[in-house]
Amino acid sequence: MPSDLDYRSPSTVDHALALMSEAPGGAFLLGGTDLLPQMRTGRRAPSVLVDLKRIAELREIRETADGGLSIGAAVPLADVETHPLVRARYALLAECVSTVGAWPLRQRATLAGNICNASPAADTAVALLAFDAVVGAVSSEGRRTLPMSRFFTGPGRTALRPGELVTDVVLPATSRGFAGSYLRLSRRKGMDLATVGVLVGRSDGELPPRYRIALAAVAPTPIRAVAAEELLEARGPKAAAEAAELAMDACAPITDLRGSAEYRREMVGVLVRRGVAMLERKARP
Amino acid sequence: MSAPRAVGREVERVDGVEKVTGAARYTADLKFPRLLHVAVVRSPHPHARVLGVRTERAARAAGVRAVASGRDFPLHTGIYLKDQTVFATDRVRFVGDPVAAVAAETPEEAAAGAALVEVDYEPLRPIFDVEEGIADGAPLVHPDLGRYEVVPWIQPKAGTNVCNHLKIRKGDYEGALRRSSRVFENVFRVPQVQHVPLEPHVSVARVDLAGKVEVHTSAQSPFTVRHLLCACFGLSHGDVRVHVPYVGGGFGGKAGINLEPIAVALAKRCPGRWVRVMVDRHEEFFATVVRQGLTATLVTGVDRHGKVQAQKMHYLWNCGAYGGYGVNIVRAAGYTCGGAYEFPNVWGDSIGVYTNRPVGSAYRGFGMQEIHWALEQQMDFVACELGIDPVEFRLLNALGAGKATVTGQVLDEDAGRVDLCIRKVAAEVGMDPARQRRPYSGKGIACAVKAPAMPNDAASSVVMKFAEDATLEVLISGIDYGQGLMTVAAQFAAEALDVPVETVRVRGCPDTDLSPYDWQTVASRQTWATGNAILRAAEEIRRQLLATAAEALGVPPGELALARGTVAHAASGRSIPLARLVMGYQFPDGHAIGGPVSASASYLPEGLLFLDPETSQSAKPVAKWTFGAQAVEVSVDRETGQVTVEKVSACYDVGHVINPGLIRGQTYGGIVQGLGTGTMEELIVDTTTGRAVNASLMDYKIPSFEDVPAVLTAEFVETPQRDGPMGARGIGEHTMIPTPAAIANALFDACGVRIHDLPITAEKVWRALREKERGERERAGAAGVPAAAPAASGAIA
Repeated sequence: MPSDLDYRSPSTVDHALALMSEAPGGAFLLGGTDLLPQMRTGRRAPSVLVDLKRIAELREIRETADGGLSIGAAVPLADVETHPLVRARYALLAECVSTVGAWPLRQRATLAGNICNASPAADTAVALLAFDAVVGAVSSEGRRTLPMSRFFTGPGRTALRPGELVTDVVLPATSRGFAGSYLRLSRRKGMDLATVGVLVGRSDGELPPRYRIALAAVAPTPIRAVAAEELLEARGPKAAAEAAELAMDACAPITDLRGSAEYRREMVGVLVRRGVAMLERKARP
Repeated sequence: MSAPRAVGREVERVDGVEKVTGAARYTADLKFPRLLHVAVVRSPHPHARVLGVRTERAARAAGVRAVASGRDFPLHTGIYLKDQTVFATDRVRFVGDPVAAVAAETPEEAAAGAALVEVDYEPLRPIFDVEEGIADGAPLVHPDLGRYEVVPWIQPKAGTNVCNHLKIRKGDYEGALRRSSRVFENVFRVPQVQHVPLEPHVSVARVDLAGKVEVHTSAQSPFTVRHLLCACFGLSHGDVRVHVPYVGGGFGGKAGINLEPIAVALAKRCPGRWVRVMVDRHEEFFATVVRQGLTATLVTGVDRHGKVQAQKMHYLWNCGAYGGYGVNIVRAAGYTCGGAYEFPNVWGDSIGVYTNRPVGSAYRGFGMQEIHWALEQQMDFVACELGIDPVEFRLLNALGAGKATVTGQVLDEDAGRVDLCIRKVAAEVGMDPARQRRPYSGKGIACAVKAPAMPNDAASSVVMKFAEDATLEVLISGIDYGQGLMTVAAQFAAEALDVPVETVRVRGCPDTDLSPYDWQTVASRQTWATGNAILRAAEEIRRQLLATAAEALGVPPGELALARGTVAHAASGRSIPLARLVMGYQFPDGHAIGGPVSASASYLPEGLLFLDPETSQSAKPVAKWTFGAQAVEVSVDRETGQVTVEKVSACYDVGHVINPGLIRGQTYGGIVQGLGTGTMEELIVDTTTGRAVNASLMDYKIPSFEDVPAVLTAEFVETPQRDGPMGARGIGEHTMIPTPAAIANALFDACGVRIHDLPITAEKVWRALREKERGERERAGAAGVPAAAPAASGAIA
């Protein structure tokens, strides 16, 4: 890592944007749990780090006017995971967050950082995709929002423009109260990247219920298995096996150190079936 | 001696408070004035000729103070086979082979300087597999093998890639095989794995203006470091001083010599300056040392009663680029090739093969976990094929007093009881053959045996002395890198002299100028060898104390007793506290006798005999054996292949438990490390580039706390070792030897699949299960009946 690296920690978003426009080779810094190792191994070499953690606006979790929940970009994952409103309304997000690294790491890592890193295995992204979260972004050209479904463009790539930063991630009110599980296979039980991650969720108290199936580490980006969701919505849990087939068709895994493409694809099927079965078990008194 | 007070008790670690508070200092914590930092130029090729190394530009770079490279340091080093120079001279042999190094004022300047070193390579065909390495016409990794200096009991084959070959020829294997009623053959494989010590390798060196070399290093063996540095630089032992502060884990990876020569080579180029070489976690994985790979082919012939009559073991070791240390693993695996069993007719070959992989070296177990992976699965396989209970089959074939090992050594009564260990662990996990079975849940067992693998004359020595207040100081040069040696040393000293263990101070961070000699901290030998030396030194201390006290009290020494910190004369009721004796005794009239009490003593194993070079027969090839067994219970997820190790029970015959808490810790730690190499660890080398592709903690996983089995138990049998200190024998390495094989055997018991190649990953199990179910369906289909649906475990139909 270069020793002449410049580090700035502005206290407003405007200042952060201005600093970045002066130094196009720079990088925004949140928890740094992905960025710093990438710098150490030479994968990234920013000329300046613009730390966003001192910007008060980015450090909040707050309810939006329409009953959604906005999670500021600089909120550590540990705070997301333990926040009462997250736990009450978006429990599956808390479950996904709790699988990222270890507790000390989650004191630094952030939700925004996790999705900006755009790993195909991003555990938090499956919940954000499932909940139709909306990413708030700002650049010198102004503020805009991006739906999660269009946020990822490839491994390590997002729809953010150069110099644009994420301000928050908003969970809509319509996604409150999904029950379900995030099922995950990894090489060891704790602190490991997912070999396969499958979220299966179902809205509580609606007839007919809405289903959500989102997958990690089985495609170039985290994805939703929409056809599988629609099948379950149409035919209910008895169609689990066919939904699992549709989810397997939706994924496009690669073979890497953690598992082969074949194994991953098959495991998507296994975990979708299990996830649906667990919904039934949870639903029973 | 009165009843035990310090030995056998759960004495707290004497280094515990220092380590927990952070007071303990490790090599990287040490501060040096004007320290120079080092960047090593490493080969990007797995195998290439080095045509030229140009360092002029690097030497002129900002902040660079010294550059060192190959041909300036032509002498070879290596503990048993001197096959390695400080830097590659004419040839590089693995990706990471050091070619040059740069010392500079800052780490950044060192890296910038290293980038300016220009090396011309002519790539050569690399070899990565042992089968390729022993094939005729294979490219030679060491064309000069025949010219290397080697100890007499290692047998390299000049003109080949074989750096050692040990042959066991016992009885009439061919005849016994012909007479066998059933014969079984299997091949098992073990990949290279890395030690992953918490503290990566680091060495600091200075050559002072008078030419004396001083080294601070994270190492297991200060005296062996000194000895090999002298060989490597042509120095006198009198002019090299090695310090080892606290060490954060070794597991064999810091045995012998590692980064020290690079630090010294640079230090010679800038006298007066301290030079520190420190690898990061990435380099630790491939550029230091790894455990050797193994391909094992086993043939077992049994008679009608299930007794093994013929046993062939062919071990091909992937030694990597250098075999200086690994050649002795090859040897140890050879003379232990039959494990814990009595095989009357044996054909054994243990062959070390150079390849262009990372350097194989010592790793906790020294080849034993690898051969037990093969042997203990083979025994299980044979038992299951014969329809004999695996526990009974092991007992039928187990070694014991009066039985002969593969080298023809007939075991004495004090050798230890593997049969008791087998019975205890089998009972602990409930391996009764009539037990209730649950689908996809199984139980398995594996035995373990290991002897210290070391030169016959490997010695330990200690110094014991008193401070003025009768604090007893014990100087040792064995390194406590976590196993608890300092505590055990304090216990032996306190026990032998009947002083409170709290008054003993073990000086366990040796300095070769001042500390007593010790060969190495390896081979599970410290409790045993240092323990023996302490007991001997204590006898001399006792003699001195009693002699002075006898003169002081005017009674014969034989009437005196040393107990509870005083020397007492029972008949007269008079006594003298140690504090009045340890610096000499002064009479009321002022005259004094005696003097500071101190003693040194050593221990060297007695009666060891070389192996016959052709057959390896020897009546006493090793100092002692430690036997044991582990049994495990697993559950298997049929659909994902994930294996959960629910319970592991261990039992070892350790002769005498010195510290119940420490030995439990050793046992549980070994099991968890065995679980790691058993289920997740493998250093993967890309066979097109030669690079280690998972050289990081993100991509190379070792167990986390969540992976620790829910239930771990440890029991110990205590058959005293005749020449062990208070009967004790070694245990440090043994605790991880049988774990992977026991898991594999439990997996087979659970679901009928066998994994031959470590590690046992979920995906391998899933594939094996799928293969098995496909086979069952095909057989059922051929028989014209529908296949029975396999029972599910946590699965949703």
